Amino acid sequence: MQSWRRKSLWLALLASWLLVLLGLFPLLRLSVPTSPWAGAPQGWPRWLDAELLQSFAKPGELLEDGPRPPQALRGGSCNWGACFDTSKCRGGGLKVFVYPAAGPVSETRRRILASVEGSRYHTLSAAEACLLLLLSPDTSTGECDPVPPQWDGGRNHLVLSLHPAPCPRTFQLGQAMVAEASPTVDTFRPGFDVALPLLPEAHPLRGGAPGQLRQHSPRPGVALLALAEDGGRWHVAGTDFSACPWDGRCEQDRGPKQTHPGATLPNATFCLIPGRGPDVLHFLQALQVLTALQEMPLTRVLALRQQTQFLWDAYFSSVEKVIHTTLEVRGIHLMGALVFGSASSLPLSMPLSSDTSSALIIQDRIFGPSAHPSLLWNSPPGAILALPTFSPSPSDFPFYHLQQGSRPLGRFSALIWGGAPGQPPLKLIQAVAGSQHCAQILVLWSSEKPPPTRWPKTAVPLTVIDGHRKVSDRFFPYSAISTDAILSLDAHSSLSTSEVDFAFVVWQSFPERMVGFLTWSHFWDEARGGWGYTAKRTNEFSMVLTSAAFYHRYYHTLFTHALPKALRTLADEAPTCVDVLMNFLVASVTKLPPIKVPYGMWHQEARPPPLEPGGPGLRQEPQPAAQNCINQMAAGFGHMPLVSSRLRLDPVLFKDPVSVLRKKYRSLEKP
Amino acid sequence: MCASVKYNIRGPALIPRMKTKHRIYYITLFSIVLLGLIATGMFQFWPHSIESSSDWSVQKRSIRDVPVVRLPADSPVPERGDLSCRMHTCFDVYRCGFNPKNKIKVYIYSLKKYVDDAGVPVSSTISQEYNELLTAVADSDYYTEDIARACLFIPSIDLLNQNALRVKETAQALAQLSRWDRGTNHLLFNMLPGGPPDYNTALDVPRDRALLAGGGFSTWTYRQGYDVSIPVYSPLSAEVDLPEKGPGPRRYFLLSSQMALHPEYREELAALQARHGEAVLVLDKCTNLSEGIPAARKRCHKHQVFDYPQVLQEATFCVVPRGARLGQAVLSDVLWAGCIPVIIADSYILPFSEVLDWKRASVAVPEEKMSDVYSILQSIPQRQIEEMQRQKWGSVSNPLFLPLIPPQSQGFTAIVLTYDRVESLFRVITEVSKVPSLSKLLVVWNNQNKNPPDDSLWPKIRVPLKVVRTAENKLSNRFFPYDEIETEAVLAIDDDIIMLTSDELQFGYEVWREFPDRLVGYPGRLHLWDHEMSKWKYESEWTNEVSMVLTGAAFYHKYFNYLYTYKMPGDIKNWVDAHMNCEDIAMNFLVANVTGKAVIKVTPRKKFKCPECTAIDGLSLDQTHMVERSECINKFASVFGTMPLKVVEHRADPVLYKDDFPEKLKSFPNIGSL
Repeated sequence: MQSWRRKSLWLALLASWLLVLLGLFPLLRLSVPTSPWAGAPQGWPRWLDAELLQSFAKPGELLEDGPRPPQALRGGSCNWGACFDTSKCRGGGLKVFVYPAAGPVSETRRRILASVEGSRYHTLSAAEACLLLLLSPDTSTGECDPVPPQWDGGRNHLVLSLHPAPCPRTFQLGQAMVAEASPTVDTFRPGFDVALPLLPEAHPLRGGAPGQLRQHSPRPGVALLALAEDGGRWHVAGTDFSACPWDGRCEQDRGPKQTHPGATLPNATFCLIPGRGPDVLHFLQALQVLTALQEMPLTRVLALRQQTQFLWDAYFSSVEKVIHTTLEVRGIHLMGALVFGSASSLPLSMPLSSDTSSALIIQDRIFGPSAHPSLLWNSPPGAILALPTFSPSPSDFPFYHLQQGSRPLGRFSALIWGGAPGQPPLKLIQAVAGSQHCAQILVLWSSEKPPPTRWPKTAVPLTVIDGHRKVSDRFFPYSAISTDAILSLDAHSSLSTSEVDFAFVVWQSFPERMVGFLTWSHFWDEARGGWGYTAKRTNEFSMVLTSAAFYHRYYHTLFTHALPKALRTLADEAPTCVDVLMNFLVASVTKLPPIKVPYGMWHQEARPPPLEPGGPGLRQEPQPAAQNCINQMAAGFGHMPLVSSRLRLDPVLFKDPVSVLRKKYRSLEKP
Repeated sequence: MCASVKYNIRGPALIPRMKTKHRIYYITLFSIVLLGLIATGMFQFWPHSIESSSDWSVQKRSIRDVPVVRLPADSPVPERGDLSCRMHTCFDVYRCGFNPKNKIKVYIYSLKKYVDDAGVPVSSTISQEYNELLTAVADSDYYTEDIARACLFIPSIDLLNQNALRVKETAQALAQLSRWDRGTNHLLFNMLPGGPPDYNTALDVPRDRALLAGGGFSTWTYRQGYDVSIPVYSPLSAEVDLPEKGPGPRRYFLLSSQMALHPEYREELAALQARHGEAVLVLDKCTNLSEGIPAARKRCHKHQVFDYPQVLQEATFCVVPRGARLGQAVLSDVLWAGCIPVIIADSYILPFSEVLDWKRASVAVPEEKMSDVYSILQSIPQRQIEEMQRQKWGSVSNPLFLPLIPPQSQGFTAIVLTYDRVESLFRVITEVSKVPSLSKLLVVWNNQNKNPPDDSLWPKIRVPLKVVRTAENKLSNRFFPYDEIETEAVLAIDDDIIMLTSDELQFGYEVWREFPDRLVGYPGRLHLWDHEMSKWKYESEWTNEVSMVLTGAAFYHKYFNYLYTYKMPGDIKNWVDAHMNCEDIAMNFLVANVTGKAVIKVTPRKKFKCPECTAIDGLSLDQTHMVERSECINKFASVFGTMPLKVVEHRADPVLYKDDFPEKLKSFPNIGSL
């Protein structure tokens, strides 16, 4: 018994020792330094004396690295600030002077000149210009220009060449910025020069073809990769191949070879245009591009596809866009800083100054922090349509609420355009003021006669603004507009409080679009070979009337400061055109149709006929002159931006067979 | 990528406590340097999957045992840095392919001690920071011990501080590295470049083609798309803990904490302080500190003593002017403290500027505008200041962000999930096949015990009909991205939804075309907050609002099938399959979360009850159903960490719906009949 006990005790002791030894051994092996440099080195060592290592900088060295005088300007390299005199832009913003061409002018060049002259940047005086634009000659017949008169070593100059210059320049570019296609790394000065896309000769001046992408995701079965070959041909590789399509050695392994003439682009998800160079194909092979593309997550493929379209539409599709982008890229430093908090200090401090653009840039703080975040450049609608002068904060714009996780501010300003003789629109004012979302009512008085002295008492403030009797006044960015949302109205519009409430709630879900009650639709008139539009009730629509519509106040800024003046003049001359113009503008930004909400038919019987003949009528068929306006607008925009919709947004229980008491917007149900 | 970028900006705040914080810092630093290289275009095709690192036993050695290498005075010196280097000219990409999983592999040269002919060391063997950095690299998945497989080479010669090394001899040491080859594919790290009196903005050590990750690059020395700009490490972050401070007004508007400031700058700042009083605070070195207090931790204004870096948390904006060098360690401190840096250093290449959008977290003011800095900052609206303080990088990025209306000709694919209700299924097929835009019909046969009916028995329809048999009876099968789906639009429809008219379905498709990134469906539902129970509740009554549509009849983009199957967060998919319920709620959560948008309910409310299943539609069952659905909402909200569903008050109807207008002229007359 006892011996058994002792035996088991020993056994247990032995076993525990064994365990201890086994457990300790690896630890011992670690703690005992193995012979330092024997065998292959195993990773980066853990130094036993790591605690004793010194810091890379002596105490205080990081804090006091010896003051140094401000750096003097260095020759050779230029950057913004060093080679650009921003003081010239004070008080004038980005004002661009274009040198007139000497001698005969090519068509492209003439159109570029026209584009800059029609833009918001243009000035006729070289002295007041902040930027002087020199167009490189673009035809072989064109003579190379001599040194321009205000050259000054190229300071504040932008030398723009859309096509490779046919003759060598006769003077040094010096401090001038260079905007050209395919610049070389050796001469390109990042942050100063501008790289342009290489445009075909026949690139349209304005508008341009919309992107060809018709769906978000690639079609199933479409080729993964097309490789550009010499002579403008494409080699299309199928989705199923694993061999290297560019390697001559596996020629026999490649899939069905398709070549396309240069005119048509290949039907493939990715297009690869290899550079010129003897080793380029091996280089691509080493990168294993194909494998990487095959493994690319769907989400990324979708994002890339969409981004190509956005970039094309926003910056590449016309000569005008390329030029404006160039100016915007360079102007960005200026414009971003110019009007900080512009929302309140835009032209508006003085009612309707005749020269609004000069008022726009009153602030003398030029060249401060740039406020044009990459978000504005890289997401729809792009930097040309997102004016940095409007606000430095993306959440003030109608387009970025999703990315910013923000919502448009919670109330609206009603802007009533009036001036017709007679009583103030009492019923309208009361209906609008009755809305819980109404912040204020603004009456834009545009008549020769003085406005009535007595206005109805309302729960919200009512302000009368003196207008300039031009139709385009109604889309001026008045400082009094304090909310994101504007309810644009005519004095003779008729709306109920319920309608206003519901439409506003819908607008909050779609702050970048117009939300309206009455609609027009456009169509292609084969007989006349042009566009037409109708106010007839149809199954679809593409415009909402601004005599009763919600939209974001940003569109006032865009209308006033970004539209070519010619188009605004056109609208002033033919008042119905102003509706068309506003709808064109918003559609060219959103690429989407406006939104229609229900509108009681009883309004139309109750409404007096429009007092101004040809004024923005509700159910009037547009006059022939007005029909012409849509074609002029389409020409001015370079394309037809309007998009049709076949739906109307109604309250969830609209006309459902359920007790009216359950319904929030019950008065919309009136027959 | 974004996550780690953001991480590093806030980086210093996340590097508390000695060892581990150093490691996190250097791991992040190194991954961002790699990301920077990736952003240069060279590696952008590389799949960035993580390869599990092989186990290796760590050596423990002493620094003193490091072998000594004697450099003859006439040993070769590399060329000066080649300013024209770009990835495609100076980088050998062939070394980087052809290894398993295409992972970039990094080799670290073993540590040596370099001495000149006289036996005088060329530099200190290795600094604490560089050792941490190399350890971090060696612990990462990029590390390889096999020099032949390596794509990038990191010398163990410490170049972090140029003042701590002898320029020519260090260059000689670099040149004798076994794979130096003019520095090709070698990555050097430097934080303090240049030295008195010129203070070059890049490391003066001749390095030929080697890539340089440097602090304090200027536009003159930075090789765009080749070098990487890194922040100057601040040791303070390892010593001090700062409490988190939210956005909002702070005591000082503008603060300067730099000790070494050019007198001209200090004068201008002092003038600002004189003009604006309390709002501006300009700090300097303390002159009469008692012994034992580290000067780095205190700042003074006249006789007032402030704790540094804590004082940075009291200011909205902190100026980071250039010193002798462009890169300043104070930038790290300022970011860490959540103060918005005001960078006054012309031509400075901000750290990781290739991947970070500094405009969102800092303000750059030109040196010549320093006197205007106060008014420039004053003109920034409060809202933007808060955005910069939060350094918020987008909350939602809609995967289908491009505004476009897909062509009608594409049509849609109807997917009917069925188990064994063949009769009802056939009726659904017949009804759906009448819809003009239907292009294919897919039946997902979810019954493993029973074969689908014989081919001859199926209704004859004008579009292709395919039956997919599943391996398991799971609800998720309805959302699988089947290869058979060729259209972008998918109509998910239950095998008992026979009451939808052809007009209603066609109209639903038209609505989807106008909202291709949303769920467009027929029966709408709502989630509500139950104040008594403090949790979410499912609502199917006649309400004025909707936040979900049932996928028993809904159109959506087929991309969401991919998302549902492969990217559904947490265990939601398993939960749905285990409970055999709520797959539709899960889909609503998923789409709302990724797009940030609400659903679109189409057409008026109908009775969605199948005639065959009245028997199970009893009241008690109904209640259990509601409880279960509510549970799903609460479960999903907790997995998503938020309530992504958006409530709206509208639905979509045809333009002329219920208008006083001749029915026969309406495009979709047959809508809303019960």
